Amino acid sequence: MTDLQWARISQDLFNVAIFSYLAAMVGYFAYLAFQRDLLWKLARAAAGLGLAANLVSILTRGLAAHRVPWGNMYEYSALLACLVVGGYLIVVEGIYKVRSLGGFVMAFAILTMAIASQFFYVTPGPLVPALNSYWIKIHVQAAIWGSSLFALGGIVTILYLIQDRRERKQVDALRSQEPPPIMGASLNLDAPHDLVDDAGAPMSAATTGRKRLPSAATLDTLAYRLIAFAFPIWTFAVIAGAIWAQEAWSRYWGWDPKETWSFITWVIFAGYLHARATAGWRGRKSAWIALVGFVSLLITYYAVNLWIVGLHSYKGF
Amino acid sequence: MPPSAAGFSLTQSVALVWRTLRSMRTALILLLLLALAAVTGSLIPQWPNSPERVLQYQAGHGLWGAFLQRAGAFDVFGSWWFVLITVLLFVSLVACLVPRTRATWRAVRQRPIQAREIDAFRHYRTIAVAAGPPEAVEASRRVLVRHLYRVARAEGTGDPTALAAEKGAAREVGSLLFHWAFILLLFGVIFGKGTGFSGYAVVTEGHTWVDARANYDGQIRTGRFFGGDFTGVGIHLRSFESDFRDTGQPMDFVSHVDLLDPQGNLIRSQDIRVNHPAKIDGLNIYQTAFGWAGVLEVRDGDQVLTRQDLVLSREPAPTGVPAFAMPWHGVLKVTSVRPQMAIEVELYPDSRALAQQLQTQQPVPMLVAYDPVISYKVWRGRLTDPSPTSLDTTFMKKTAEGVVGGGLTADLRTGKQLDPGRAAGGLTMSFPDLRHYSVLQVTRDRGVPIVLAAAILILLGLLPALYTSRRKVWVRAEAHGEGSVLQVGGFALQRKPQFEAEFDKLVEAIERAIDDGGSTTRVSDGSDREKVGSR
Ligand code: HEM
Repeated sequence: MTDLQWARISQDLFNVAIFSYLAAMVGYFAYLAFQRDLLWKLARAAAGLGLAANLVSILTRGLAAHRVPWGNMYEYSALLACLVVGGYLIVVEGIYKVRSLGGFVMAFAILTMAIASQFFYVTPGPLVPALNSYWIKIHVQAAIWGSSLFALGGIVTILYLIQDRRERKQVDALRSQEPPPIMGASLNLDAPHDLVDDAGAPMSAATTGRKRLPSAATLDTLAYRLIAFAFPIWTFAVIAGAIWAQEAWSRYWGWDPKETWSFITWVIFAGYLHARATAGWRGRKSAWIALVGFVSLLITYYAVNLWIVGLHSYKGF
Repeated sequence: MPPSAAGFSLTQSVALVWRTLRSMRTALILLLLLALAAVTGSLIPQWPNSPERVLQYQAGHGLWGAFLQRAGAFDVFGSWWFVLITVLLFVSLVACLVPRTRATWRAVRQRPIQAREIDAFRHYRTIAVAAGPPEAVEASRRVLVRHLYRVARAEGTGDPTALAAEKGAAREVGSLLFHWAFILLLFGVIFGKGTGFSGYAVVTEGHTWVDARANYDGQIRTGRFFGGDFTGVGIHLRSFESDFRDTGQPMDFVSHVDLLDPQGNLIRSQDIRVNHPAKIDGLNIYQTAFGWAGVLEVRDGDQVLTRQDLVLSREPAPTGVPAFAMPWHGVLKVTSVRPQMAIEVELYPDSRALAQQLQTQQPVPMLVAYDPVISYKVWRGRLTDPSPTSLDTTFMKKTAEGVVGGGLTADLRTGKQLDPGRAAGGLTMSFPDLRHYSVLQVTRDRGVPIVLAAAILILLGLLPALYTSRRKVWVRAEAHGEGSVLQVGGFALQRKPQFEAEFDKLVEAIERAIDDGGSTTRVSDGSDREKVGSR
């Protein structure tokens, strides 16, 4: 097959992936609304199909370009979406058995891919010399894995804040009821769930049954796990990037906008990890820090390439 | 220490500052401040990265620009406040690391502490076994050691058949390693940048460049503690190759060089290309840019006035025009004639591309040398500008202009190109050859290995700090009829839900190990006690 044909196949599959994710998103949200297992199964099947199409699209793009398929923003975005969905299906649904977050994850993947095909599409071709290095493969892989896990963590954090608000409202409503509920039942009301943290959260689908979204404590722990998983990968990505910069640009660090923003993201998530270990910052406060980290991640990923010039904003688009 | 009546004494204030710096909250706030400072650095153009954009920004922002200038916002990462935040962060880091390290050191050496009431722990089981208390406890000890616990037996008369065990010290040790490694990182950065330098070498094909201060192109950037020691190493550029895509995007550029020792002996030959610097004598030599040098010879009759490989620079391209569509500029100065002479030169390396450009009125990149053409202007008068690259024509008059092709000669009086082979009298300029020059960045940073080592330690420390968990287990055996009853209690400091299964497995393993000696009966299956609200 010719390069052109591979490129066509890659592009078609890219579109298949977007539409599958779209279907999956609808299915997941419908599942949230109606709690029918069938909806969840359909949504998961659509997500799986999209993931397969996404993956094959990335592989065929590599075949068309005769190199590893992560050399420009379009390709990073496809890979990011693929890893976010894959990470969700394996970690969140597979290991933690939380099913109700799918719609949000699909929305993120769709947005990433749509922006990529709208603004970043380039025909596959060889890389500019600075990108043609052994370290780029490592650096970009680590950066994308780290980003996808941070992104999942960010999505879960947003849901945590929503759920937390709702739970607090319920507690307030219960409190204002006269007469107060039986002591035994109200035992937990005064204990802010951020203190329950690691301790109590039963990570099972059972908790999702009635409440649709998992409990705030579950979401909080899940977000922490995802971010703690992502943090060393991101650290490694920054280090690999520095090694690459030392080889390509003669300095391991130069406060180039992309470097600066990956540093900012790193520092914010380091702050998040500290906040979780600091009395008085647990729960909502640290969640807000994680949210700021998520925004910083998006800026690192998009804004730097689109609006801020630097060595990293290759004219790959 | 007696509290002084009149407010804070000096020692008290120091102690207060120290206590504040030691708190995690301070570290957290400093980290967030650092992030905030870095944000400013990415939103406002930075002098070290893009001086032109700083000037542009200042021009457009009047008073605000002046304020930012005063505040150091155009060089955030070198500004006093960025340095202050960093210094405070590191002081805070040391302030909290020292006591933490001491505590960890003690904790690691200390034997695990016995528990008084095992049944008070969150995880608790009792099992009846056939073995006597000493044997049962010994078997438990072996199982715990096999599960990587540190185990201490109770001593003294009171409780000879109890033990305490814990594991997960790697968490704290890893965290300490991770934090200390930042100190090493900072040292590596300061040492490397402080004693290092960075500058540019411009070498034309066939020439040799020697590492000495005077030979650098323009300013070199030196660290604060730079000793002025240059190596005298030579770089001889044998040839240079560039490779482009059809779109004009550069694909690869390579300098084929011989590296020479200060005596001029060949050390080795090497290719320098993007991502593949040469390393010699502590120097790193990087391929950064390239261009054209016209070999130009000016004669007066038979007398050669000057022969140079004139390094030409490319005009910056306006937006939308490919960089390589622009001509290359230079000026050749001849001081040995009266009146003095300057020849302004404009090179079009590819005459095919030039023809196409003229025909279509569209910019066409000139990527290779193909029938190169030079257009020139001759100025006579007084040369006032000593710089080899710029020309001040205030006291000069243009006397001729024309074009000359590669391999040909032009008459500088008339501006006419001479037919090949024709001997010429008077002032002439010939253009026998066009060569590449290569721009190499030469840097020295002795801190790189230290920084790399610190980075590796950071990662190595981070993994156990985030992913290992501390657990404590206690066992006590009491004689019960023929055998004994074993109490096992457990407590997890991290990943508590996972410990439930771990604890079950541990108890089973203990049971099985004791079982090897006799039969066991389970007395109580003591389901885990939930202690609501406890941590
Ligand atoms: C006053 C200074 C500092 C104190 C008191 C401090 C204290 C701590 C403590 C106690 C932990 C363990 C948290 C846990 O068990 O979950 C921790 C973790 C961490 N620290 Fe610091 N730290 C300080 C400075 C820094 C600095 C300057 C950085 C980075 C530049 C940093 C990065 C981290 C990171 C990424 C973690 C996460 C790893 C972990 O959770 O163990 N810390 N810090």
